[in-house]
Amino acid sequence: MNALLGTLSLAVLNVGLALLLSPLVEGVLRKGKAFIHSRQGPPITQPYLDLLKLLGKEDLRTSRDPFYRAAPALSLASVLLLATLVPMGTAPPLGFAGDIVVLIYVAAMSAVFLILVAYGSGSPYAFVGGSREMMILLTVEPVVAVALVVGALKSGSLGTGEILAWNAANGPTLSMVLAGIALLLALQAQAGKLPFDIPEADQEIMGGPLVEQSGPRLALLRWTLWAKQLVFAFLLVELFIPWPRTGWVGIDLLLALGKVMVVLVLVALVDVVNPRLRVEQAMGYYLRVAFSSLAALAFAVIGM
Amino acid sequence: MTKTPKGIHSPWASRGPRLLEKQLGTSLLDCRAIEPDTLWVRVSRKQIRAAVETAVHNMGARFLISAGTDLRERGDGYGIVHLFSLDRDGLFLALECLVPEWEEEVDSITPIVPGADWSERECRDVIGVEPQGHPDPRRLLLPDDWPEGVFPLRRDFDYNERPPAVEGSRPPLKEHPAGTTVIPMGPFFPSLEEPSYWRIFVEGETVVDCDYRGFYNHRGIEKLGDSVLSWDRIPYVAERICGICGFIHSTCYCQAAEKAAGVHPPRRAEYIRTLMLELERIHSHLLWLGIAGHIIGFDTILMQSWRIREPIMWLTEEISGNRKTYGMNVVGGVRRDITPAQMPGIRDAVTKVEEEVLAVKRAIVGDTTLLARTRDVGILSRKSAQDICVVGPPARASGVPIDARLDHPYAAYDDIPPTLCTQGAGDTWARVLVRVDEVVDAVRIIRECLDRIPDGPVLTEMAGEYPDGRIGISVVEAPRGEAVHFVMTGGVNRPYRWRVRAPTFPNLQAMPVMIRGQNLADVPITLGSLDPCFSCTERVEAVDVRTGKVTLYRKAELEAMARRHRP
Repeated sequence: MNALLGTLSLAVLNVGLALLLSPLVEGVLRKGKAFIHSRQGPPITQPYLDLLKLLGKEDLRTSRDPFYRAAPALSLASVLLLATLVPMGTAPPLGFAGDIVVLIYVAAMSAVFLILVAYGSGSPYAFVGGSREMMILLTVEPVVAVALVVGALKSGSLGTGEILAWNAANGPTLSMVLAGIALLLALQAQAGKLPFDIPEADQEIMGGPLVEQSGPRLALLRWTLWAKQLVFAFLLVELFIPWPRTGWVGIDLLLALGKVMVVLVLVALVDVVNPRLRVEQAMGYYLRVAFSSLAALAFAVIGM
Repeated sequence: MTKTPKGIHSPWASRGPRLLEKQLGTSLLDCRAIEPDTLWVRVSRKQIRAAVETAVHNMGARFLISAGTDLRERGDGYGIVHLFSLDRDGLFLALECLVPEWEEEVDSITPIVPGADWSERECRDVIGVEPQGHPDPRRLLLPDDWPEGVFPLRRDFDYNERPPAVEGSRPPLKEHPAGTTVIPMGPFFPSLEEPSYWRIFVEGETVVDCDYRGFYNHRGIEKLGDSVLSWDRIPYVAERICGICGFIHSTCYCQAAEKAAGVHPPRRAEYIRTLMLELERIHSHLLWLGIAGHIIGFDTILMQSWRIREPIMWLTEEISGNRKTYGMNVVGGVRRDITPAQMPGIRDAVTKVEEEVLAVKRAIVGDTTLLARTRDVGILSRKSAQDICVVGPPARASGVPIDARLDHPYAAYDDIPPTLCTQGAGDTWARVLVRVDEVVDAVRIIRECLDRIPDGPVLTEMAGEYPDGRIGISVVEAPRGEAVHFVMTGGVNRPYRWRVRAPTFPNLQAMPVMIRGQNLADVPITLGSLDPCFSCTERVEAVDVRTGKVTLYRKAELEAMARRHRP
């Protein structure tokens, strides 16, 4: 009973963090971006206000398809599910239910829902955006998979909690560092940041999959993206940079949050000093990253 | 690479007529030098294509623009003038033919000069002289619901007449090739600040071809010029042709009018014009750099280059009272002097800009991602650039060594020749480099202007009326390329005909060549790299009037409105 309660409260904590903290993180990143731009920038609470405003608007849809209607909510839900599979301060709440294989599938779900939204909205821009999203997904997923498999190989377990525990106990190894770098590079695209915000590409295809989305639907899709970048950053720092580890959930969580912010600021910095690549350039880049990350796998196999 | 300005005494001034006479025989009706730099040739209507062929192939003339004029009240039918520039000789060549009222057609020259495409279509739309043998005779400029057979630039058409709209009209769109998808860009599109409708035909994400429908903003400024305004009012309207390079158009018009009237502005006025033109070049190029960065998602460039640009706007406000649309040019000179007290401020501001632009250049030259997005993107070959008669930075980036400031020196550019900034690659990156180099060169020109500006008056008053039957042709190198103004005297205290060609007019025609075979993602930056100015091309008055109410805000109030938390 106690275990169930603990799991439940942890799940609530993880989902709550992903849901409620992600707009604040986005707000901080926007402020940082504005600083580099020599701008004032919006207040850091602006993303909350954006969400409130959008949620209060009329729900307009271009298709009656029930699946299309539900896609934004499902998209956000998939990220929240992902949050329960990712360790935040301690072992993941639903770690018993799913290992990294499930995690990889769940991680791809939000992008798949976005692609469905794109194809369902009937706009040529969304169509182009959807196919770009697909191409990016197909080249970024292998990088994520290889990085996680390295962790699994080293720790001898498919569970994220076990990988975290192993890495925290056994210190940095070459293969884990390389895998972490690969995951960091993948984070840039997972978070939809430049130079890889190609599926949205406002100036080319007017927001791509989002072009026909407005009001609550847009709010949910935005929220998905913000939550996703936070959850992925947690995945990166908890699995690959878990030190120092105190054993106190609260302190570990705060430490992790600090590291998450550092990682995301880094991602935002890359975002702000780069133009957007073309989709085939981005795919080439991630294919190279994926092949390079195979080196991490090789090191892991020989025990380094 | 530098090029010294050429004198206006060209060998073609005497050889040209002889050559034309040899080629055309009795079809050459008249040939005279109406200005030291302008050769006016009248040929018979049937031989216009042969005359153009001689000019282009034997004399190396570059097509500028065609102007159609309704001369029926003078008994001459319709006058069709094709203007050319002999760049190396600083000479304008005008090939005119008269089309009788009952014929209303003339041989198209587009098969010889591809760059005459839009020009001839515009001529057909507004004057009603059909170019025979034109490869693409669709409507260009008039609205879709404009009735057939109503030609707004004919003199019996009142400026305020509104013909009844045609019901059920459709835009004259091109059929897309089989197997392609149409991706519309416009009429309103985030990376285009003005309405223009591109239809991109793609296979997957590869561009096969494109179609353009524009001129949504056309408001008939030329018509106002020859029916409502007076000589002295036109400079202020001309300035409003473009929201960015307005001073260029007012200068260009004033120079054309001065030529036609035989007035010479004082030297000091010419220096002031040069200075303002170069200030405009600096702020326009920085504006462009920002937008180009924005188009490829590089907003840091946008924010920083607009920050660098801002002091130039403050400077022009100090000089003229306005950030834009200075209202300084009048026929015969300028209305405002630059005081000695203002000069140190100008010098400081441009020096600061130079430093910061060089810093930006250093930052972007090493940026591999930026290079990946601009190198080999939107390539315009030298041959295509010359065929389509592209002007300005796009031409110079493709290795075409033209610059109106050098080829037809005006204002003080004979004293202070600009450096010809060329590149060979013809891609978007080359166009970036040309513009950055031009900003630095503009700073040098401004400094030299300040050093060498002579004392004296700034305005030569016009004495008497404009003489009848005179032609004035003037070009000014705008930031986007060369602007052409053509005036014909003989109206009632106004031009009989005022023809404007903005640089985007020829440059936009290069788009299909530049984007063919490219990725869809490169279309916006390719278009952006032309620095298109649709309002110029369409000769619009870009006035943003939301309410009739005029509210005056002081700077502090505006700042307070823009940001609640002051730093």
